[in-house]
Amino acid sequence: MSIYKKDEPSPYDLSNFTVLLVEDSLYMQSLMVSMMKMFGVGDIMVCSNAQEAIDLLKVTQARRKSRYVTDIDIVVTDWLMPGGSGKDLLNWIRGQDDDNIRFLPVVVVSAYTTEKLVAMARDAGANETLVKPISGVGLASRICCVIDKARSFVSISDYFGPDRRRKDAPFNGDDRRVTNPKHIKNKRKKAEG
Amino acid sequence: MDDPKVEIIALSNTLKRKMGLKPDDTSEGFIDPEAVKGADDLVKTLCEECHSAIAGVFANLNEKWHVMRDMPKDSPDRPAISEEVFILSHEIKDIGSMCGYNLIAHFAESLRDYIDETELNLKAQRVIIQAHIDAIQLAHKQDLKDDDGPAATELKKIVKLAIEQYK
Repeated sequence: MSIYKKDEPSPYDLSNFTVLLVEDSLYMQSLMVSMMKMFGVGDIMVCSNAQEAIDLLKVTQARRKSRYVTDIDIVVTDWLMPGGSGKDLLNWIRGQDDDNIRFLPVVVVSAYTTEKLVAMARDAGANETLVKPISGVGLASRICCVIDKARSFVSISDYFGPDRRRKDAPFNGDDRRVTNPKHIKNKRKKAEG
Repeated sequence: MDDPKVEIIALSNTLKRKMGLKPDDTSEGFIDPEAVKGADDLVKTLCEECHSAIAGVFANLNEKWHVMRDMPKDSPDRPAISEEVFILSHEIKDIGSMCGYNLIAHFAESLRDYIDETELNLKAQRVIIQAHIDAIQLAHKQDLKDDDGPAATELKKIVKLAIEQYK
């Protein structure tokens, strides 16, 4: 029986969720998997570096129609790893032609606390960044952000990824962010779930 | 027609649909606060084993550092092993900061950044790295967690002195 009253919003049920965790440290892997299991995440796949994750994504995609293979909903990746970094993985994901891969939400986790890292991850197409040490609230909020605040994707000559402009606040002055409408091609995409 | 310079792709929010909501639902959801608290509690419990986890990574770091320290200056293997030392110090920083070993995390971060910024082929630089490694080992041996106690301050001072003297 639910502990939530009928008119109260109930928490997200993540039992149908599949997360791909990419983290080289075995210890950190076990901590993060334990946290996500507590959140109720149904399926957690773990890879130790970008190359392993790329191989897994290729296989998952190739066998997408199999009932034994679940789609990955979110990629949570460490930034600094031997054998292929988080940046390598992001570049690969965003560079794919396959919509099921290139639009994957990616949360970058890093022990680097500099703004430079956040900017690098954002410019590589990350949806969210999370700085270590990770807390339950921090990880939960990033997962919810990815679900609740899905942004449109932007494709320009040197960037493909979620719109980096998160705010839609009014601004008095010349809005230099606005692209000439004739140069904008709007496209509605209905990704298959 | 001109090729567009910017393409904006509005995606249907399939994750919302998985949550049983309409894709265009703008409400904000949440993860059960009890589960979030449970996750933090679980991490605390798991962190009790952190001391041995750090010991394992440190042993690896120390071993790689000895190989690196003793190899010829122009060895072709130097970049690879230097990267391993860099990654291992980063891992110690990760585990240390996650589990409240702030002093160890401090030295591991300092070592990681130092390795990142130097070529590590001068004798003086080796002294600086050794000072970091000794500090991590001592902090681990004495189970020093806080990075602002008297012992921590003293250790930091020693490493800082080594950096200033040999940089």
